[in-house]
This record gives sequence, C-alpha cells and structure tokens, in this order.
Amino acid sequence: MVRFKHRYLLCEVVSDDPRCRLSLEDRVLGGLVRDTIARVHGTFGAAACSIGFAVRYLNAYTGIVLLRCRKEFYRLVWSALPFITYLENRGHHYPCFLNTLHVGGTIRTCQKFLIQYNRRQLLILLQNCTDEGEREAIQKSVTRSCLLEESSAGEELSDSGGEETAEAME
Amino acid sequence: MSNAKERKHAKKMRNQPTNVTLSSGFVADSGVKYHNGGRKPFQSQKEPHSGTSRQWQTKMSHHSLAESDAKEQSSSRVTFKKKGGWKAGPEGTSQEIPKYITASTFAQARAAEISAMLKAVAQKSSNSLVFQTLPRHMRRRAMSHNVKRLPRRLQEIAQKEAEKAVHQKKEHSKNKCHKARRCHINRMLEFNRRQKKNKWLETHIWHAKRFHMVKRWGYCLGERPTVKSHRACYRAMTSRCLLQDLSYYCCLELKGKEEEILKALSPMCSIDTGLTFAAVHCLSGKHQGSLMLYRANKYPREMLGPVTFIWKAERTPGDTSESRHLWIWLHPSLKQDILEEIKAVCQCVEPTKSTVCLPDPLLTPSQEKSRTDLPTEKIGKKRKWKDDEENAKPIKKVIGDGTRDPLQPYSWISPTTGIVISDLTMEMNRFRLIGPLAHSILTEALKAASVHTEGEDTEKTPHCWWIEACRNPDSVSLHHRQETIFELLGGITSPAEIPAGTILGLTVGDPRINLPQKRSKVLPNPEKCQDNEKVRQLLLEGVPVECSHSFLWNQDICKSVTENKIPDQIYRGARVGGLKETVVHSQYKRSPNVPGDFPDCPAGILFAEEQAKNLLEKYKRRPPAKRPNYVKLGTLAPFCCPWEQLTRDWESRVQAQDESSAASSPGGEESSLRRDVVPCAPMPGRTRQLSDDEGTPLNDSSEPKGVMDTDGPARPGTEGVVGQGATGSLLCVLRSRKLLRQLSAWCGPSSGNSRAAARAPGTGQQELRREACLSILDRFPKALVWVRLSLLRKGSPEPHTMICVPAEEDLLQLSQDRLYCGPQEPKHSDPFKSQIRKQKEKKKLEKRQKRGCAASEGLAEGDPAAGQQPLTLGLWSGPLPVVTSHCSRVLLGFVTQGDFSMAVGCGEALGFVSLTGLLDMLSSQPGVERGLVLLRPPASLQYRFARIVIEV
Repeated sequence: MVRFKHRYLLCEVVSDDPRCRLSLEDRVLGGLVRDTIARVHGTFGAAACSIGFAVRYLNAYTGIVLLRCRKEFYRLVWSALPFITYLENRGHHYPCFLNTLHVGGTIRTCQKFLIQYNRRQLLILLQNCTDEGEREAIQKSVTRSCLLEESSAGEELSDSGGEETAEAME
Repeated sequence: MSNAKERKHAKKMRNQPTNVTLSSGFVADSGVKYHNGGRKPFQSQKEPHSGTSRQWQTKMSHHSLAESDAKEQSSSRVTFKKKGGWKAGPEGTSQEIPKYITASTFAQARAAEISAMLKAVAQKSSNSLVFQTLPRHMRRRAMSHNVKRLPRRLQEIAQKEAEKAVHQKKEHSKNKCHKARRCHINRMLEFNRRQKKNKWLETHIWHAKRFHMVKRWGYCLGERPTVKSHRACYRAMTSRCLLQDLSYYCCLELKGKEEEILKALSPMCSIDTGLTFAAVHCLSGKHQGSLMLYRANKYPREMLGPVTFIWKAERTPGDTSESRHLWIWLHPSLKQDILEEIKAVCQCVEPTKSTVCLPDPLLTPSQEKSRTDLPTEKIGKKRKWKDDEENAKPIKKVIGDGTRDPLQPYSWISPTTGIVISDLTMEMNRFRLIGPLAHSILTEALKAASVHTEGEDTEKTPHCWWIEACRNPDSVSLHHRQETIFELLGGITSPAEIPAGTILGLTVGDPRINLPQKRSKVLPNPEKCQDNEKVRQLLLEGVPVECSHSFLWNQDICKSVTENKIPDQIYRGARVGGLKETVVHSQYKRSPNVPGDFPDCPAGILFAEEQAKNLLEKYKRRPPAKRPNYVKLGTLAPFCCPWEQLTRDWESRVQAQDESSAASSPGGEESSLRRDVVPCAPMPGRTRQLSDDEGTPLNDSSEPKGVMDTDGPARPGTEGVVGQGATGSLLCVLRSRKLLRQLSAWCGPSSGNSRAAARAPGTGQQELRREACLSILDRFPKALVWVRLSLLRKGSPEPHTMICVPAEEDLLQLSQDRLYCGPQEPKHSDPFKSQIRKQKEKKKLEKRQKRGCAASEGLAEGDPAAGQQPLTLGLWSGPLPVVTSHCSRVLLGFVTQGDFSMAVGCGEALGFVSLTGLLDMLSSQPGVERGLVLLRPPASLQYRFARIVIEV
C-alpha cells in the first residue's frame, strides 16, 4: 500500500538509580537518542534518522519505551542505542542503558509482544520471589492481568457502548 | 476543518496507551482515565512526592492496598498538587526517594501495562469495519450483509457495528413500507401531490422514464429523448413515423348558433391572413382549419396567436338552426389572452353552474382506481394534416389542467347570444403522428370497434353508450362506413395524398387487446394499394361529411374512455419525440413555432424574455476568458432580438434617405399618419404606462420631417429605454397573404427587368416599384416579415443570428468568384473593458480602505458602489445604440430558428426581417442578385451569403 513504512523499536530503560525513572520523559528521551545518533553517525545519520523519529510510548514505571523511525534508517537508530549510557535531565546525570526487546513493523505487533513479555516477566518475578508478602502481591497482579485478559472482550463491549454515548453527547 | 481532523485523530487514538511517566502518576491500573495528564511534561516536578509516598505506603502496609485506596490516593494527590506550590517539589524529592525497589510495585506496573496494551491490541483503531480488517483469504461474499458469514470471534463486534450503521442511517421519512407505498391508492395520492404545481400529461410516467422533462406552461413536458436521437427522429419524420403527445394543447368549446358564433368571432380574424372560421369546408366539419387570432378589430396589430379549429359535423346537412359546436385548439401559453378575448367578443360573462362537473383535485383514490380499470374501449378521432396526422381521443380527467386554478369556473354563458364557452383543456388527449407510415401504424394499432349484437350481455356500465349506439341502425351503418374508409387509409402510402386537415371519426376497440408480442416495424401493405379506384375516389373527394361525425362530441362518453396509447404505437415502430422535435419539425415545415416565433403576441414576448434570461445566466456561468466577447464581435443583442428598435431604426433610416434624395411624396406621408392614428388610440383596458409608451412614438412619427431629421441622432438613445418598457405594442408581423405573395415574387432573382415586367401583368403581380413599396409601408409602418433563409454555401445558422444587407462590393465579389464565402466583420473595440477595470480597481481600493479605516466610513463608501449596476465583460450594457448601423453591414433582422437542415442538405434558417428594410434592400439590389443577404452568428465575425425566401 502507499504509506511510509516505519520500524518500531521496543526498548527497556535499565537503570540502577530510581531517580532515573523520575526524569524519564518522551522529550528528554527523544533528545537523548537524537544526540547519540548525531554523535555516533554524524550529521548524515542525524538527518536521516530525524525524519519520522518519535517516541510513541513511554512508561516510567516499567521503563518501557517505544521508538519510531523510518524503515530505511532503523539500523542507524538501533546501532546508536547501545551508546546511550546516561540520562540527563536538568543537570543531573543518571547512568542507564537501553535494552532493545523487539523490533516491529507496527505498533500493534509491539504491543502484542509487550503483553507476552510482561507476562513472562511477571512469572519470572513470581518464581524468584522469596518474601511471602511480596509473593502474594505479585500473585494478585498476575491474576489480575489474566482476569483482565479474559474480560477484555466483555470490557470492550461496555466500553464501546460508553463511547457511543459519549460521542452522541458531543 | 482542523477541528474535525483533531477529533478524528482523537477517536483513532482513544484506545492507544498513553505515556506513563512518574508525573502522570501510576494510574494505569485504574483504567485509562488520565489521557490528558500523561503528556504534560512539567508536572513531574511535583510528582515524586506521590510516587514515593505511595511506595512507602505500599511497603509499610504490606501491599494490601485495594484499588479504591489507590484511587483515593490519586485524587488526594491531585488536590495536593493543586494546593502545594510546585517549586518546592524537587528539593523534597531527593530525600524521599527510596534506596531499594520492591517486586510488588514492579509487578503491579507490569500488570497495568499488560492491561493497557491488551486494550490497545484488542480494539481496532482504524475506521474500517470488522470484516475489512480480515485478511483477504478469509473474506466472504456479502459479509457486511450477513453477520454469520464472519468468523465467530468477530461476529459480536460486527453485530454491534451493523446496529450502529442502522442507527446512523437517516430516519426513513416515509412511514409506510415499500409495498404500501407502491400500492395503487397511495401511489395515486403521491402522484397527485407531485403534480400540484405543474400538471402531468397522461403519458407522463412513460415519458419521464425516457425524456428530459421540463416544466413549461404549467405542465411537465418531455423536452428531448435521453437517447441520442436527433438524426433518428429526422429519419422517422421523413421515412417512418414520429409520434408526439400534444395533449397539453388547450381546447375551447363554443356552443351556440352558427351565425352567432361566426358573428362574434369575425372581428378577431381577418380575411387578409387566410381563411376564417367561416371557411366552407371547415364549416361543414370535414376539415380542420387554422388561422391567426387578433384582438377584436385590431388587425394587423395585437396578435393573439395561431389556433386550429374544428366544427362539429352536422348530423343532417341542411338544418342550420340547431346549435353547433366549435372546438378551438391552441397553445397553452396563448390560452389566457385568447380565452379572455373570446369571452369578451361573445359577451360571455356569467359562469355556468360549473361546480357540478368541476375537475376535482382531490379525487378520492377509490374513484381514481375504478376509472382506470373499467374502460376498455375508446373512441379515436383522427385528423390528417399535410404530412402529419393527429389522433385525438377523449380520456378520463386526471386532475385539472395546468393553465387554470381548479376552483375557477371553466364554462361561461352569454345571456344575449346564447353562446356557451367551455374550457375543455386536458379532457382529451391528442397525439400527432408525423411521417409516411403514420397511416399504416394507425390502421395497425387501431381496430374499429366490433358492433354489439342484441344478444350480448349489457352489464358493463362504461360501454353502455356504445351498446346504445349499436341499437341504432343508422349509427351502425355510419360506423361501417367509417370503418371501410379507415381500412382504405392503410393502403395510402403517404399522408400527403389526403387533403390537409381531413377529419375522420371512428370508434375503435381497445388497442391494448391486440398489442403485438414483439416490437415490429409496420410496412405499408401492398395488397391494400390494389384498391385503386376507391382510394382515388377518397383522395379526390375527401372523407364524406357524415363520416367525420363521432361520438366524441358527447361529453358523457368522453369521460369514460381511456388512454395508454403510446406503447402500442411504439410497438408498431413509431418513434416518440419531445418539444425539441416539435421545433425541428416546424423548422422543416418552415412554419413559425408557437410561441417563440410570434414576437408580436404577448406569449411570444414573454417567451423571448425568459429565453434571454436563461441564456444570460448560462453565459455568465462561464469564465470571461472562455466566452465570446460580444462587444468585440459587434453583437449588440446576443440573447434577445430587439424587434422594436430594429423597426424604428429602419424607419428613421429610410426617412433620412428620403430626406437626402428629396424624392418622397407628401401624400404618402399623410396617409401614414392617418394609418398610425387608428391603431394607436389608447384603449381603456390597457395600463397607463403602456398607453404612455404608445404615445411617444406616435408623437415622433407625426412630427414634421424637418424636426425628425434633426432629432435623428438623438433618438436611439432616448428611445432605447422607452422601447424596452413598451414591449412592442406597435410591432406587427406581416401576415396578409396578398402582400406576402407579392413580396415573395419580388424576392426571387429576376433574370432581367424586361422579363419580369413582361411576366408581371400576366400573373397580376406588381413590379417592384417605389410607389408599391410606399403603399405597403404606409399600411404596415413597423412590420416584420417571416422569411426563410437558405445558405448558398457553407455555414449553419443558429438562433439570434443577424441578417444583414450585403454591401455592393460583396455582391460584386460574389459575382466574380462563386466560391466566395463572404466578408468578415472587423473587430470592434470594447469600450466597457476599461470601465470594468476601473470598477474593479475601485472596489479593491474600497476594500483596502475599509480594512484600514473605521467601519462607519467603510459603510458609507460601500453604498454608492452597490448602487452601480455591475458590468458583465463581453456584453453591451446600457441602452443599445443604433442597431442597424452598428456593424459594417446594415442589420436587417434576426433568425429565430436555424440549424443545418437535413432535409435540404445545407444550413437553413427562419427569422424575421424588417419590412421597411427588406423593401429598401430589394429596391436597391440589381435583378440577378435580388434576395441575397448576409448571415452572421452572434459569436462569429464571418458573414455568409444566404438567399431570402418568403413563405406565404
């Protein structure tokens, strides 16, 4: 079809410092990646990657980041990601690195992968957990996510119904 | 626009997960309610508090926080955020940040993310329908129609979508189901509603499916077929048969004593223009007559329009004392004037008790239905008329007619003369068949009704009149005679062999019964042609008088007879034409078309105005660069023909010539004055304004010549304005047969003066001499002549083409070079262009000023600009200058119909020329080239030679 093809890089920000997560914002992260590309690939690389580059999704709690770039130059972006070693925000430097989890052609595939990935992570957490109380909490969230998954279809219906009414009110 | 775009985007993104920063709080678990907060970048300074505090809390309370608590927290957080100044935030955060992280928060975050992603993935975000998202190999036919064709997992969503679509669809305005709407009663009601404004003919539905319909004269009429059929219709006209529905023609019935009717109507027509109502062969009822009607005693001015008429045949020739019927057929646009005038001359003022048989517009559906079902027989009435032939037959009344209100009386009686006038419009259908196969088709389609024998049952109510008639042996024998004559007609190869306007009455059976299975072409039956002697007798004598009697005259019978005629003639190979075909036909017949070619009757003036308006609108729709600049082309009036001004200009021109040559006789002038006074006497019935307008030119013409001459240059400008308002009250068209015959003799090229002179005494024609011209001009000072123009070489004229007088050098060049096409008009300059530009600049300036200065000033300036009439580029604005001498060749007249004539094989045009100008031109032209004129279409500079022929 006639459209711009993109690549979506699903990454995970890994940092020891919890304050790093505080300063995790799309604008900051975007600037950081751009700077890194310029440093690694020069002006050409920066220019090539700046077209269509965007941070599509970001979760500070889990550190998940979704980056978008054009399909032609995603390798430039990808290869620049390991060179990010710290996150800078308002003069503070927080050491961190980006771990690429998945490269997809659509947001949708990335989301699907993320669901799988998160579920896996939860299970790993559950297995490795030693503290009794924590174990319970994790179990709870796991079951919740599973329940959510099951009820998602039902939710959809109610949701869409609600949306319709909202639209009508508009 | 952008708003809509945004909304669309928002709709698309509503299911997508938003960014979750610490600033937006950990809210994902409570659904996606924090869309807006997620993107605000600078809230983060505040947030650490909440996030960390929460972490603390969760840790301390051993993760037993319920969701509700979390929500509370978030809300409290919000309030806190609002309360607290947020500059203090960052300093506080660093201390409260925990040194370690717990697995439970991590797990919670992940769970929330899972749910958000799930939501995003499960819901489609695009605008496409469910089945459109399916991969191609899983698509099935009619998926959108039937939900069960979808995979089961998608069925529920699709169901909802379908419901939504139904909901979104516009509410059906008709509360009835399709079947109910289509049922006969409701359909009839609907049809009646739709023809409230413009009435339908009975064949309307048939026509509406096949024709471009136009609303005209209060009817919906088919203008031209939707198929390409110009040439096909011509072929049908010349070699087969063309059928037209003329039911929209109005019929007036006059009932009374013969002498009374004739006496009353005689002032309305003149023996000059041809036969009157009293023509012998028409009076007997054998023939249809046609004539021109004028306002009583106003001939030759104040024409009302052309009509055709039929006298009811006398049952027994001899007793003239009994009341006779006269039917006058006329065009609907002429009806009001003529009806008023006839009422006036007959002194019919009292409406008769018309309420009884008033056409009821609110016919109850049940009645309607019963009427259409019952009749199975009909009366055909047939008239042949030159090459066309008409078939009129009575119908049930559908619903009033388009030319009068349903509540108006339609019948009037005169207390003194006993004449009853009734308006029978739309009571009868009338068809016209044109072409050589007309008779064959008629004889094929119509079969004379079978005579009832005594033994047959008689319970059929609508046909009791026929059964009654069959009991009478006289009428049966008459019917048989009519039938035999009708049979003879089938053998006649061309309708032209029968005397024009012959009437034959006939009772026919329902043609639908013997409808052919397949469409077929009718060929004249050679066997029938053998019957030579009878045919010859028929041709010589015409149809006997008795045979023209028909039951049609009886009103009661009229009502019970039906329609649905066209299809069965179509099945026999007739082609159906519309209004355009009528125009074409009249062009081939070289007869003026009603009402466009009657510039001197009120309907014609109205028609011309309407046409000019339409053409102007059409012209203005095009961009200036893509339309002809008529000013540059030297065309003063491309959309209307200024007859009034044309005749006046010619008059003054000729008078100026006379002045210069000093050869005019004072006696002629005297007589012209005398003539002028009579028609111009102001009538009480006219409005004040009109009589004023009449007064002005009258004064002009009665002024002494010297004054006239000095006035000459100034006149056009002043009178141009007057002429526009006067609507041609003084204009007349020359219709005197004697004069027309004389003119046509003059128009032809005479090989030499001597021969023409030698021929002249023999034929009784006057030679073209100055005295003869003057005597004609005296009688008809401002007259137009109906002429036919056939082009010598190339060129196809169009309406509003200018007819010009050729200059001497043109004729010289033509005589030297037979292939000479014609002269070219030099390009004119456009004096209005600079004006328009100035106006535009002014407007621009004003706009700028308006923008600059205060609103009150702008308003004050805007007013004068609005008062000015906007000029149109390419059109002459303001009063026209002298129309005759505007171009290099002197203007003589205008073409009203013109096209390439397929009958002749070259361009042919019909139009009017000024009588004064024509005589002037003829007298100045040498014998051989006499009658040659130049034609120039409004959008061209090229003149073409044409020969003028006057139709008598």
